[in-house]
Amino acid sequence: MTSPIDPPEGDWWSESVNRRETIWLGIAGVWSLFLFSWMSGWVRAGDQNPTGDTYEISPEQFREKVDQYKEAAEETDGGYVPADEHVYIAGQRFQWDGLPAVLETGTQYQFHFSSYDVQHATNIRPEHNLSAQMNFDILPGYEWIVPMTFDEPGEYHVICSEFCGDGHRSMHGTFTVVDDE
Amino acid sequence: MNASRLDVLGLFDHEYDDDGWRTCSVTGLEIHSSTENYAKLFGLTAVVALLVGGLFAITVPLTRWELVGLLEPADFYIHLSMHAWNLLIFWMVFMEISILYVGGPLVLGRKLPITTVAKAGWGTMVAGAVLVNYAIWTTTPPDQAPLLTAYAPLPSAPLFYVGAVVFLLGATIAALPFFLSMWQEKRENPGKTLPLVAFGAFVTSIIAVQAILGGLAVFTYALLWRVEIISSIDASVYRHVYWIVGHGTQQINLVAMITVWYFLTHVVGGAEVVSEKVSRTAFILYLFFINLGAAHHLLSEPVVELGWRLFNTSYAFYGAAFASMIHAFAIPAGLEAGRRKRGKGGGLFGWLTSAPWHNPVFSSVVLSVILFGFIGGITGVVMGQLQLNMTWQNTFATVGHFHGTVVLGTTFAFMGLILFLLQTSFDRKLALPRLASLWPYLFASTMGITALMMMYVGLLYGVPRRVAEVVENIPGTEFNLVAAAPLFNVFGVFAMLAVVSGALFLVIALATLLFGKRNGDGEAAERLLPDGTLKPEGGASDPVHAYEMRGTFVLTLVFMGVFVVTWALNWYLLSQLWSIGL
Ligand code: HEM
Ligand SMILES: [Cu+2]
Ligand SMILES: [Cu+2]
Repeated sequence: MTSPIDPPEGDWWSESVNRRETIWLGIAGVWSLFLFSWMSGWVRAGDQNPTGDTYEISPEQFREKVDQYKEAAEETDGGYVPADEHVYIAGQRFQWDGLPAVLETGTQYQFHFSSYDVQHATNIRPEHNLSAQMNFDILPGYEWIVPMTFDEPGEYHVICSEFCGDGHRSMHGTFTVVDDE
Repeated sequence: MNASRLDVLGLFDHEYDDDGWRTCSVTGLEIHSSTENYAKLFGLTAVVALLVGGLFAITVPLTRWELVGLLEPADFYIHLSMHAWNLLIFWMVFMEISILYVGGPLVLGRKLPITTVAKAGWGTMVAGAVLVNYAIWTTTPPDQAPLLTAYAPLPSAPLFYVGAVVFLLGATIAALPFFLSMWQEKRENPGKTLPLVAFGAFVTSIIAVQAILGGLAVFTYALLWRVEIISSIDASVYRHVYWIVGHGTQQINLVAMITVWYFLTHVVGGAEVVSEKVSRTAFILYLFFINLGAAHHLLSEPVVELGWRLFNTSYAFYGAAFASMIHAFAIPAGLEAGRRKRGKGGGLFGWLTSAPWHNPVFSSVVLSVILFGFIGGITGVVMGQLQLNMTWQNTFATVGHFHGTVVLGTTFAFMGLILFLLQTSFDRKLALPRLASLWPYLFASTMGITALMMMYVGLLYGVPRRVAEVVENIPGTEFNLVAAAPLFNVFGVFAMLAVVSGALFLVIALATLLFGKRNGDGEAAERLLPDGTLKPEGGASDPVHAYEMRGTFVLTLVFMGVFVVTWALNWYLLSQLWSIGL
């Protein structure tokens, strides 16, 4: 009997392996490699990737950049219309500085994310489709520049999805994506 | 050995001979009282932590179920932190020390060396756990409740970091007798192979060392910053080092659980090891790759380099996921072939239908295997894919995933182990035997549905985790996620039922300790062993790998089917998003 609480007898390394177990090893091995290939393939060919350039930056420096951005932007009832394709969003207990904003479909924006104080996270989704949502962690001390292009107009909500203090639940912002005429 | 006079409940007595040895009538192991008593001590302490953390499994879901909306945010975060630390850390780590003693010296038939060190380790761990609980409970601004992660630069109480360091040091001290006994075993028997269970315990302990080193580093770093010895703390460095312990402890949970699976399916189900080579190779893969995966907690954040994220989240091309899939076959195959060999296996699934499903040790362990695989394991690999992680990170779906692993998998298996130890090491008949037979099914179904609901609200409605209010109302805006409310009602009801089932376990365990009758001669073996015997006829001439594994093959193919479909659906959901990233 081969028991897991007794030392194995004899030359256990050379015992043969059941055929079905061998087949399973093959299936599991192929699936493992496929999973990896798909994931790294999507980095090159896929449309959704958590990738962008990162820079170290102090909260004060980032606040200056956000202020400059807001100054250059056109202020409308709907929010800041950015002067160019750069959009700034800063987490701050308990609001998003730089929001609300008005963006256009089809334009590739460079989203600059950082935090003035503690860790936050962006949970972004359009109002009309709650399950179409994604999350980024936002860290103080780092500026993350992630390109994003929207094809559907609508109101997009940014909920903070990392605990940042007792007022965390009220940390919410929006941006509007309008059809580019 | 005579029990101490203080031991009025008779928790630590047994029929030992004058030198403190006894032969276990169930496993046939030669057991020394020193080893057994310390395994019991750590196990009992774990149950206390389970009770404390379990109390907060009432208040936390009742807050998240906004129809009830029990707690205000500040209290909610304190309760959530108590829930996480007592269950994920204290319940599990105390159990794991117990498992090290069982898997090491107890299975090897050794005395526990340096018992004063074991005692000191226990005391230090208890002190650390008490400190952490006190610090969390008395959190006042500017400190915030730590939750599990204590993400700097959000400050937690200084005593919290101290308590965490003390606890980790205690766990290290408590592991020393285990390491010493392994070393003694190797020195006395060079060239003898360890039994698989001892090997699994050893792999667990190595992974634990890596995790503990990371934990000591990160909580010391945060403490120095919190008491202003160093002036600033880097959020990214903190996250990196934190996840060495945050992730590492989960891998200890995993490997310890698998060791328990091999142990108990064998003893109470008649399973054999269908291939020592394959199962041991899988453990070795864990040793190399499993602690790598720490970056799967860092996928949707700026600082970590892309290539590293790909390599790391996949545990080096899915080396550790592959290892888990190996165990996913080897465990049921051991049961199938072992039972067929005993003549209990007609047809495709006769080995299963004839199994001792009324024995709660057997059923909780087998349900743990199934639920861990289907609910916790599949989702873990899915959400750990770099891009899919964006749709899971920080959502309730993540909470669903890890209640699939640490509750339906590890906690469930550990509960099964406790029911086993109650009947063997504590030498008692289970009190409330009918309820005990039913209990695993109650827990599996209620907690299983709870975990599924967590995932559904997370994925279908993007409900975030760690927030006291978001579904019915987000303060300051008209927007809300109220579409998720119906599913939350299901979640709330089943979470409460799961709490009741969890409580039933504690009732059974405590009633057994307090009122359970002692086993008569041979009773434990008769009740626990499949067909009343551990070792059936037939020796090396009747190799287990030659028996049919058709049933297992079919089951694992079903598993693979569910895996592929879940994976594909998640990619479909992701592809519906706008264009993101370089
Ligand atoms: C009846 C059983 C249980 C129920 C109903 C339950 C329910 C919950 C809920 C609703 C949350 C999420 C709160 C949120 O993020 O807003 C949570 C968090 C958590 N639970 Fe449980 N739980 C149970 C048992 C356990 C057990 C046994 C463990 C560990 C072994 C555990 C570990 C955790 C951890 C680590 C967290 C995350 C804490 C954090 O975000 O820092 N739970 N639980
Ligand atoms: Cu927040
Ligand atoms: Cu992990």
